[in-house]
Amino acid sequence: MIFIHLLTIQGGAIKRASLEVLARGRALADALNNNGQEVELHTVVCSPEVADWDEAKWAAELGAYGVDRVWSATDESFKEHNNQALLAAVQTAHAQATDQAAKPSLVAMASTEGVKDILGALSARLGASVVADVSEFGVVAEGDGLHLTAIRPVMASKAQTQVQTTAKHVMVSVRSGSYGILEEARGQEGGTPNHEPIKIELIKIEQGDSKLQTQIREIITAAADIIDLNEAETIVAAGRGVKDETAKALIAELAQCLNAGIGASRALTEAGIYDPSVQIGQTGKVVAPQLYIAVGISGAIQHVAGITNTKVIVAVNKDADAPIFEVANYGIVGDLYEVLPAFIAEIKRLKG
Amino acid sequence: MVPDVSAPMQIKNGELIMDADRAVLNAYDASGVEEALVLKEADGGAVIVVSVGPAKAAETLRKALAMGADSAVHITTEGVEGAGEFDSDSYAKILAAYYGEQEYDTLFFGKQSQDTDAGLTGSMVAELLGIPYVSNAVGITREADGRFLVKRQGDSGQEIVDAGTGCLITCSNDMNEPRIPKLKGIMASKKKPLEVLTLSDLGVNAADVQPKTQITAYVEIPARQAGQKFSEGAAEDAGRVAELLEQNDLLS
Repeated sequence: MIFIHLLTIQGGAIKRASLEVLARGRALADALNNNGQEVELHTVVCSPEVADWDEAKWAAELGAYGVDRVWSATDESFKEHNNQALLAAVQTAHAQATDQAAKPSLVAMASTEGVKDILGALSARLGASVVADVSEFGVVAEGDGLHLTAIRPVMASKAQTQVQTTAKHVMVSVRSGSYGILEEARGQEGGTPNHEPIKIELIKIEQGDSKLQTQIREIITAAADIIDLNEAETIVAAGRGVKDETAKALIAELAQCLNAGIGASRALTEAGIYDPSVQIGQTGKVVAPQLYIAVGISGAIQHVAGITNTKVIVAVNKDADAPIFEVANYGIVGDLYEVLPAFIAEIKRLKG
Repeated sequence: MVPDVSAPMQIKNGELIMDADRAVLNAYDASGVEEALVLKEADGGAVIVVSVGPAKAAETLRKALAMGADSAVHITTEGVEGAGEFDSDSYAKILAAYYGEQEYDTLFFGKQSQDTDAGLTGSMVAELLGIPYVSNAVGITREADGRFLVKRQGDSGQEIVDAGTGCLITCSNDMNEPRIPKLKGIMASKKKPLEVLTLSDLGVNAADVQPKTQITAYVEIPARQAGQKFSEGAAEDAGRVAELLEQNDLLS
């Protein structure tokens, strides 16, 4: 049985969300192995340039996270998001890892925009059963395949469903913040004591049908120094109450002193006050930081649907009846122009 | 067609019970219809709306016709065995069987449905048809030669993608504000053609589109409890909350 995990490397760093899925995959593989099964954990690495690919570095890094084998697809196409190239890479690695689909497989990926883009197409291509955007999942061997159980939010996060599927090949995408990463693996070299040094194999991806290719002409990115909301431990988010440059500056200052990412509600991204890429909620990014500070956000259900996995929510709002207070661990009823300066000063004092 | 997610609902014995059995036009699909109408107004052509679902799906097709679509196709699953449990894979296979026999400049899908938020069907259909696709579109323009330029929201920014022609595009609701049908449109929609097709009309066997995934139960999401609320004045409240965060080791 093969577990396959996808890692796209752009800019040389592994995303936390991807490591969370890896940690879950390792735990499931260990449980099955202890139960007499033979499970290998593989990672498909898609990276843009040979220069980025330092085999020894990645062998040590991924080995420390318990990866048994790496399939490395290095291709110019991975400089930017390219759905057909990703599909081809996973398909090629999957075919080789499972001995042309002879061995049962679980393909697990972090639910990023890039993965959302390929998940349906990949399941159709592999003939796999797929469950998208889960908050929990488990897998056991059954017959000639795998039995996957998962939990995923539905109905604008008013309910969740327990989902199951039994198939030879199953796929799952996982919400960020659903699992912890193997913290002890960080900084270790040469793999965990339980694992042999890992094998790295280079695969050449077959790009296949060129008529399926789409071409990126341009990428409009926000400032390069912004903190990725999927990675951030702390997020400061602005809502409708953030109306002017003074309020924006307060948000920026609070974020800076907490080393936080900055997010916004749909009202503000639509109004062009913040970049659409930082929209948080059901239709934007679903985030799960340790600390989420909602400033001037009323807490519409679509917004709250994007932050339910957060550990601690702090809300600052003038309206004592704002629904955000129903989900906040700590609520401050007050004017943000008065609360934020006091809050910033106090945080700076406490941090020394 | 989706259930109205803003309607009251409750969970009893693992089942989801909606107080009103109301179906509405999926908001992401509505954005796709709106974008198609805008393109038609600029370049001409025809907008055909297609839905797979039980008898009541016809209501949402009428809504799209009232917005301005030219004609509708209802692939009915009324009475089809197991249709109540169809998943993305089932719908994708049915839609691919239909579109495989049609001619089109482009196919617009909602990027996900409001009830399940799975977001799988669009790219599944593209893969089954063997056509290029772009997901999560927030803007669409058409070049003079007919190529579609799609602005999509990606992980690190907005990507402008040349999708060519004959492509499939899944639409975000951030793309536009779908028009509200006017009385004139509603009257006109009643005279517009709405073709009803069965799975057998498409050569699809119900047995071949049975779901690959099963929902075993609906369960409550563990509710976040409202915590402490402070309203003693800005300085005092801010100081108190900052201290609590410090105690919880959250001021990194």
